[in-house]
Amino acid sequence: MMVRAPAIAAGLIASAALCLAPLLLGAYHLSVLFQLLAFIALTQSWATFSGMTGYASLGYAAFYGLGAYVMALGWMVIPLWQLIPLAGLAACLLALAIGAVALRVRGPYFVILTLGISELVRYVVVAVEAKFGASGRVLFLVPDMSFLYFIMLALAAAATAITWWMGRSRIGAGLHAIREDETAAITIGVPTARIKTVAFALSAIIPGMVGAVWILRSTYFEPAQVFSPAMSFSIITMAVIGGSDKALGPIFGAAFVVLLSELLWARAPQLYMVVLGVLLICFVLFAPEGIYGRLRTAWVRTR
Amino acid sequence: MEQIASLQILLSALVLSSVYVLVALGLNLVYGTMRLLNVAHGDLMMLGGYVAYWSLVLLGIGTLGSMFGAAALGALLGFILYQFLLRRFLSNSRFAQRLESNSMIIFFGLSIIVQNLMSLAFTADPRSYNYMNGIVDLGHVRVEASRLVVLVVGVAAATSLVLFFRYSRLGLAARALIQQKDAAALVGIDANRINLIVFCLGFGLAGLAGALVSMTEAITPFGGFQYTIAAFVIIILGGLGNLWGGIVGGVLLAFIEIYGSALTSTAYRSIIVYGVFVAVLCLRPQGLLGKRIA
Repeated sequence: MMVRAPAIAAGLIASAALCLAPLLLGAYHLSVLFQLLAFIALTQSWATFSGMTGYASLGYAAFYGLGAYVMALGWMVIPLWQLIPLAGLAACLLALAIGAVALRVRGPYFVILTLGISELVRYVVVAVEAKFGASGRVLFLVPDMSFLYFIMLALAAAATAITWWMGRSRIGAGLHAIREDETAAITIGVPTARIKTVAFALSAIIPGMVGAVWILRSTYFEPAQVFSPAMSFSIITMAVIGGSDKALGPIFGAAFVVLLSELLWARAPQLYMVVLGVLLICFVLFAPEGIYGRLRTAWVRTR
Repeated sequence: MEQIASLQILLSALVLSSVYVLVALGLNLVYGTMRLLNVAHGDLMMLGGYVAYWSLVLLGIGTLGSMFGAAALGALLGFILYQFLLRRFLSNSRFAQRLESNSMIIFFGLSIIVQNLMSLAFTADPRSYNYMNGIVDLGHVRVEASRLVVLVVGVAAATSLVLFFRYSRLGLAARALIQQKDAAALVGIDANRINLIVFCLGFGLAGLAGALVSMTEAITPFGGFQYTIAAFVIIILGGLGNLWGGIVGGVLLAFIEIYGSALTSTAYRSIIVYGVFVAVLCLRPQGLLGKRIA
């Protein structure tokens, strides 16, 4: 895909605008943007593995939640700059453990297995927390919002970069091959088990770090909420709506969903979820390439 | 330790088994016809539970009567879903491919929609009611009449289903269809009609199970998820599409859950269920009675 001058210019302007945002926006809008960046990072990571291989993982909340948990446990004890990568590392290790188990199965088995494992992790953490006597943890003396904003911006950028790079790399080609026809891929010698595991583990790092940063923003860790399947659902919806194939797709998806939630969530959270569910189904059936995919097809046709 | 051997716990396990067996049979039937895993199965149960609740509160009809209504509503929903949506999508090859490969996500979305619609319509407060709460004394054990009803109805339903599938022409045709779709069509079995009947039967069973559950537990719009997971564990345990496997799996999971949480603590109940789930999928994904999968 040739990158054209207007696209580069638009990208630079957008990046500049994002960097200046804390100076220009009020607290509320900044936090919305913060949320958007978080979702972009999460959705990009989902697309890195699930979008490319076609193995839809319903368990991303586990990585996000584990990162948050690491932060909740380590705050005030370990310096911030070590804690965030540690959260990412923990999520990566969890992904390796889950992957060893889950990547052996395919199709619908994989989907519900990831869901089951994510729920298992949730209940285990709840039980562990109960043993510690804590039903939730509060974090004090957290860094200022603008500071957290820039970290999240960096994470979103990193996630997008990873997705973009994966799309062009050999590993990415292998993952695409797996999506098209795994048996054929194995036959021609693609090391499917290895690249699946690598991609899965890689895709867990950013969500872990996002979870850690997010918990600093919300200052409250509650296991049942952090690991909730609603988070996994939102991520998948954003990926499907935006398009999970190219790096720009999730940005559209996340923006769309955040916009929708801003309009609906405060007033009618259940209606919001219903709309989200309907959109998910419609996009899966009628427009699987997502908004971005549709835009690209339309763009190509007008040339 | 003598607590473990108590009849009280045994009875709890049996009651839970009968609910689980019904749920698993329903899910297995839906899977058997469409090869689609209905993630919204638990939410259908909750819907059946709400039918039972509102029947009692608004119409004064007890669960013994309203459970048929719950089953009928379930079957009706199944009918609508199959006839007007699934058939149309599956006959169009472009949609069929997307539907099948993304079936989990689609049904997951459906589940979210149903849950939130119920929440909008009925509010998220847990609903429970008192019906047949009198204690029955059976010698060594004392049990609420409602739990006995659950057990009896469950056993009756399961038995009649087993007999249906074993001895009636329709039942045999359905089993043939579940086993080998194309071959069954070749020998003249009307696939569409039988699919429709079995599908509605599956959904109806969900409604029935939900109505039964509502007698003993409070129902909320979001409470179906745990039953969905339990149903998945059971049918995978027993082998996908295997009806007998579903019955065996249902009893097995109920016993593991009750005795497991009796031995450790009730807080670990979910961990046990999910733990069994993960373990089965890792160690023996084809289930106890199923055949090897790729």
